Amino acid sequence: MKGSDLALKRRGIKKQGAFLVLCLPALLLTFLFRYVPMYGILIGFKNYRPNRGVWGSEWLDPLFQNFERFFNSPNCWNIIENTFKIGIITLIFTYPMPILFALLLNEIKSTRYKRLVQTVSYIPHFVSVVVLVGMLTGFASADGLFNGIRAFFGAPAVNMNEGDRYFLLMYVGSAVWQGMGWGSIIYLSALTNVDTSLYDVADVDGAGRWQKMLHIELPAILPTTMVMLILNTGTVLTQDYTKILLMQNDTNRSLVEVIATFVYRMGIEQGQFGYTTAVNLLVSLISFFLVFTTNMIVRKLSPENSLW
Amino acid sequence: MRSGEKKTGRGRRIHLFDVVLAAAMGGLCIIFIYPFVNIIAISLSSNVMIGSGRVTWFPRELNPAGYRLVFGKAPIYLAYLNTLKYCLLFALVNVLATAMIAYALAQNEFACRKGITVILLITMFFSGGTVPTYLVVSNLKLMDTAWALVLPTAVSVYNVFVYRAFFKGITGELREAARIDGAGEYRILFRIIFPLSKPLFATFGLFAVVGMWNNYMEPLLYIRDAQKQPIQMVLRNIIFQAGGGVTFGSDYYAMADSGMLNPKNVQYAAIVAATLPIMIFYPFLQKYFVQGVQVGAVKG
Repeated sequence: MKGSDLALKRRGIKKQGAFLVLCLPALLLTFLFRYVPMYGILIGFKNYRPNRGVWGSEWLDPLFQNFERFFNSPNCWNIIENTFKIGIITLIFTYPMPILFALLLNEIKSTRYKRLVQTVSYIPHFVSVVVLVGMLTGFASADGLFNGIRAFFGAPAVNMNEGDRYFLLMYVGSAVWQGMGWGSIIYLSALTNVDTSLYDVADVDGAGRWQKMLHIELPAILPTTMVMLILNTGTVLTQDYTKILLMQNDTNRSLVEVIATFVYRMGIEQGQFGYTTAVNLLVSLISFFLVFTTNMIVRKLSPENSLW
Repeated sequence: MRSGEKKTGRGRRIHLFDVVLAAAMGGLCIIFIYPFVNIIAISLSSNVMIGSGRVTWFPRELNPAGYRLVFGKAPIYLAYLNTLKYCLLFALVNVLATAMIAYALAQNEFACRKGITVILLITMFFSGGTVPTYLVVSNLKLMDTAWALVLPTAVSVYNVFVYRAFFKGITGELREAARIDGAGEYRILFRIIFPLSKPLFATFGLFAVVGMWNNYMEPLLYIRDAQKQPIQMVLRNIIFQAGGGVTFGSDYYAMADSGMLNPKNVQYAAIVAATLPIMIFYPFLQKYFVQGVQVGAVKG
């Protein structure tokens, strides 16, 4: 009896060990490339010397020196304003479009046509950021597609890549173009879970199409929309900086700088590691706060739909 | 039955709304597709036609000079080779590391399950940022190696949860049966569970390959050596540096000076060269991709 107990226990330990070993590669990568960088945030408060390491470098004397420096820099408020403006406007347009698209797709009666539209709508998602911006700048040039459209409406040809006048339109428009179809998949699969008997009940009650959408389909995708909203608010301030970097040129660089591009330029290109780490920390904290607040609001409104 | 009900439930008559909707969706499809058609058409048109802005759906005054330049030179082939290497390595590490940890986390009797899940979850909401991550990669002496592109992004928490949901669905009884037969955990995983997970691995392996093929952010940070650049970096150089003059040098200028080459010929030919490999496979892969998102959606 006792012997078999021991054997069982040994087997249990062996099993736990096996599970742990299976976790090891992923945990090691997570530790190295997620947690060590979190620890590395300390260099935002230090006079970082690579040969001394994060811990060995001495603390800055006014500890928040880097933050002071950022807020005293002449371009700072312009950068902050751009970061919020671009982020919020992008969210306002890219968040609802997939929902709307999914609801409209769901109204198409012919399954084959619906599938065709879906298939086509996913294609832009598979385009890289370099290709996307390459297409954008080409289309925005004086002899490009956008100016062809402008000419159709009698507007004179302009190079839309110059200055910041068309920047936001192109940035947000291309984000919608690229993400609308792909983003709708998640809502469409939520819509397939709608209990079809609800439609029959609605017909008996004489509900029209609009009312069905409002009372059957919208509630069906509500949990998904909430989760996506919470996740999206976390990315408002961390735009795709590679896209902005590629869209920048000599005529608009200072006008469309955001925190993420600033961090890349000053940090990676100029090696001001501590300073940019501190600036980036601001973004991380605000992003975390945004996710947290959105989740709290969602929890207040409909407790079952919040993330935690 | 189900769809039939739906149809009668919603009425078979075609309303004006249906016509408008179908037309609007057709219009959207054109908006999704036309940029690609226009790119291809321009890449094959003559300098004069491109400059006049008259190229729309089809090439005008056929001119393959852009392609001759892009495919006539070594950079593109080297880039293809590098990218292929990065993609395969990334898919392998990504799928394997994710599958292993997800399998362990799917077992209820695994004691550290909760703790490890929390460790992973935290990384979803907080990160060290670009610069500290860059310093880690650089301190590990990974700069200019494939590992710099592969390792930092290999484990996605979201993927781990999708895999875990999948394994929860197929393990249970199967494992019990195998255990009674005396199979150890590794044996169960590699001999029984993994072969059953081929569709999952195919889907997420493809995601990984496409993601790495299109990856620009990590190469921008970590690959400085011109000999190791992936396709997206080479494409960037062609499009954004003097219309390809920097990449192709005297050949480019000779062709441009003779008036037979518009910068857009080269730029768009390069776009086609970087995008076509994915687009060719797209119709076949589409099913897998959509499945992948849906697996995630069920869980989310």
